[in-house]
Amino acid sequence: MDYVIQQTVNALSLGGIYAMLALGLAIVFSIVRLINFAHGEIMTVGGYGVFAATVFGLPIPLAVASGVFAAVFAAVAMERVAFRAMRGASVVSLLITSFAISEILKVLFQNGISARPKPIQLPAALSGSYEVGAITVGVIPTISIVTTLLALLGLTLFLRRTETGMAMRAAAEDFEMLRLLGVRADRVVAAAFALSGLLAGIAAVMWTAQRGSVDPLMGFFPVLKAFIATVLGGLGSLSGAILGGFFVGAVEVFSQAFLPDSLSPYRDAIVLSTVIAVLLVRPDGLVPAVKVDRS
Amino acid sequence: MRPVLTSLALMAGTAFTPLATPAAAQDTYKIGVMSAQSGYLTPYDQPSYAGFKYCIDKMNAAGGLAGQYQVELDVRDTRSDMAETVKVAQEMVDNGAQFIVSSADADPTIAAGQITQPEGIPTMTFAGTAPVLTQVGDYIFGSYPADNQQATVLADFATEQGFEKVYIVKSPDSAYTMGGPEYFATVFQANGGEVVGESLYSLNQPDFSAIVTNIKATEPAPDLIVTWAWEPDFPAFIKALRGAGLTTQVMGGDVLDTPTVRGLGDVVDGTYHTSGGFPEEGSAYGDWVKEYTEATGAEPDNNYYVNGCDIAHMIEDAVEAAGSTDPAAVRDALAAIEDGEGIMSNFTFAGTDRMPLRPVVIAKINADGSKDFVMRGTADPEKLPAP
Amino acid sequence: MLSVTGLDVHYGPVHALKGVDIAVAPGSVTALLGANGAGKTTALMAIAGARPVTRGAIRFDGRDITGMRAEDIIRLGIGVVPEGRRVFASLTVEENLAVAGSLAADKAVSAARRAAMMERFPILAERRTQRAGLLSGGEQQMLAIARALMAAPRLLLLDEPSLGLAPLMVDRVFDLIAELKAEGLAMLLVEQNVPLSLEIADRVAVLANGRVSVAGTAAELGESEAIRGAYMAA
Repeated sequence: MDYVIQQTVNALSLGGIYAMLALGLAIVFSIVRLINFAHGEIMTVGGYGVFAATVFGLPIPLAVASGVFAAVFAAVAMERVAFRAMRGASVVSLLITSFAISEILKVLFQNGISARPKPIQLPAALSGSYEVGAITVGVIPTISIVTTLLALLGLTLFLRRTETGMAMRAAAEDFEMLRLLGVRADRVVAAAFALSGLLAGIAAVMWTAQRGSVDPLMGFFPVLKAFIATVLGGLGSLSGAILGGFFVGAVEVFSQAFLPDSLSPYRDAIVLSTVIAVLLVRPDGLVPAVKVDRS
Repeated sequence: MRPVLTSLALMAGTAFTPLATPAAAQDTYKIGVMSAQSGYLTPYDQPSYAGFKYCIDKMNAAGGLAGQYQVELDVRDTRSDMAETVKVAQEMVDNGAQFIVSSADADPTIAAGQITQPEGIPTMTFAGTAPVLTQVGDYIFGSYPADNQQATVLADFATEQGFEKVYIVKSPDSAYTMGGPEYFATVFQANGGEVVGESLYSLNQPDFSAIVTNIKATEPAPDLIVTWAWEPDFPAFIKALRGAGLTTQVMGGDVLDTPTVRGLGDVVDGTYHTSGGFPEEGSAYGDWVKEYTEATGAEPDNNYYVNGCDIAHMIEDAVEAAGSTDPAAVRDALAAIEDGEGIMSNFTFAGTDRMPLRPVVIAKINADGSKDFVMRGTADPEKLPAP
Repeated sequence: MLSVTGLDVHYGPVHALKGVDIAVAPGSVTALLGANGAGKTTALMAIAGARPVTRGAIRFDGRDITGMRAEDIIRLGIGVVPEGRRVFASLTVEENLAVAGSLAADKAVSAARRAAMMERFPILAERRTQRAGLLSGGEQQMLAIARALMAAPRLLLLDEPSLGLAPLMVDRVFDLIAELKAEGLAMLLVEQNVPLSLEIADRVAVLANGRVSVAGTAAELGESEAIRGAYMAA
């Protein structure tokens, strides 16, 4: 039983990170119909933000702020430089644009920073663990779970209580109508990217804290999983993205924990098969998005 | 997307094409070099190539290999992509390469060997260490101490230190990450040790907490964990392990010999790993590090630089012994080298299946980012597990 | 107040509007009539900046607004009640109004206007915390109008406000339009309901195949066969 609880903690910790990444993808997709393949690089920028701060010996709170700020900046700059000019282009053109940005950034990280992973050294206290009954819980996974929950709660409040948040929900349903009410499109889109960058930045901080290094491909793999999570949850659905993130995290951890090792090479295949199975039953995802499509 | 990639690849290609060599009067020796400028091999290919080029340039300036042959390099980017690797190998062959140096891992070397073996062109990997790589054929050579040699030396060391129960963490995604721990287990068991559990992971696996939880639940508890995981998997694994409160001794392969791993701080304190060499003060390697740093302004912070240089020495020794650049003669001469003089360490190809027998170093990482020399040993050929 | 001259709009390969002229005088109502597909909605959306204009000029209060972005046009004082109402279904009634009020410079102003709307539309006050998607068609129409009024426009563009509503609801919507007109709000009204439109409009323009086939005062055209003809032609 302790073993199951322990693995559940692991699943929550990993799923929470996927959920934050998936949510960032879903927010942007719901508003500008962009599947942002460069979202992983936003996360990587966040990781390098943490790295830069530790190189300069800044205290942990500043390192966290540096990582989050770097990711938000990267997201907003990406929108301003690349995607704004493409506004209204087809889903495919946008997707290809984001592919190109992703590739360019990866090469820039590699040649501008280093192809090798850069170590991120955190104080020993953060690498520790504590006991709850017979279960040992790591400090970082705990922080990770708590932060994820706070971030999700904060985002929900933001979307429900603030005018910008309401405008973003409205934009996800019918962007043109929102503009016909005089709401500035650029601001809503920029806010969506900033928010996705914020979530990717928080995810990057958690990720680097757990993994101890940042490399040019750091964001690529978790964001791949986050893509799966958004599709599973229902493309463009925010609550679906969260649910999908936790689902993918759980399948990944539990398949490692409970499947025999001989099946281990098929782990990703198992995750994807589960997703396909869910989509066969619910083609629009776990929580289908509300979207008025006009054109 | 494609035009962007292609032009970047072209740029990378141009940047690394050596300037035309002026020695027209002399014979030229054309060596094709694969060096991934992007992707997972970059961290190994780039330093290997830098060290190789540095020593080849020195040899050219001193009159060429064996004082006679000016080396002309044909350097191409593989982007760490298998299809690209095969394509590049074919292009080099078509371009008249007489020797090929392939990427720093077994898998691309095997892929390239499929092209070069039938053509009869000697091919040497930058740093691939899986001994299976030479099974492609008799023209394929390793350069770095093979995994089974490293694992044998490490297993003997572990037994000597009194470890008895090992937990193995390996990945079927590459010959290196799978083979190293398995060779270790074979020798460790022959020494009387016990394997109490093992876990498989995937390269770039996002999360290691499930594996760590498994290790924790293992009965009897292991007193040693061995993995050949590399970056970024090893940092993620060791963080998760120490984060879960496990203080079990960890030992690993030569991929841990990097500033990144040493930069992880407390979590890697006391970790042992194998290595191809150790730049001790006053040794040939130590002097070379100083020389290279002064000449280029960049300090070689891993063994791939010096191993790249040693590859240049292996090729020169072979050409010298063969007395010609004929590919078949060079191959034969290379395979017959006994105790050739290298900078990282000496090398013997004679009597091996072309994975050179070289001494293996064991080093220990300290929390402050430094590493200590622990021992140097050569694997007992009797104990060496078969690839 | 609004003058559209020689408006051409292409909709992909379709030449949707060909040299259309429309005018709305301050405080008056112009009805834009015509069969389905005649280009009425396209004209309305082009005025609001939501469809690209290929030729012609749109002036609002003497200012050329052709080619301006929708949100900037709206901010000059034009409200839009679109075809199909397009309320934000997953937002509550109150949130729908709040989003529309967010361009008011001052939160207090926005809140005051919201309160005024609740007073004017008691149904909306009753349902303020309900999701707009759960409202009936008539209630959604009220919400769409209230939402457009949140920015205190001087000109209101209404696209088929009676479409799909029960007869009782249709009357209420037209009563509301009459009320707004009495308050001095100028309107451009696209409608299928000809008798009610003629009743409320000062001027009428009939669109057929992307052109204005007939235009004049409601009184002049009220008796005319041309209007009936325009519908038959489709």
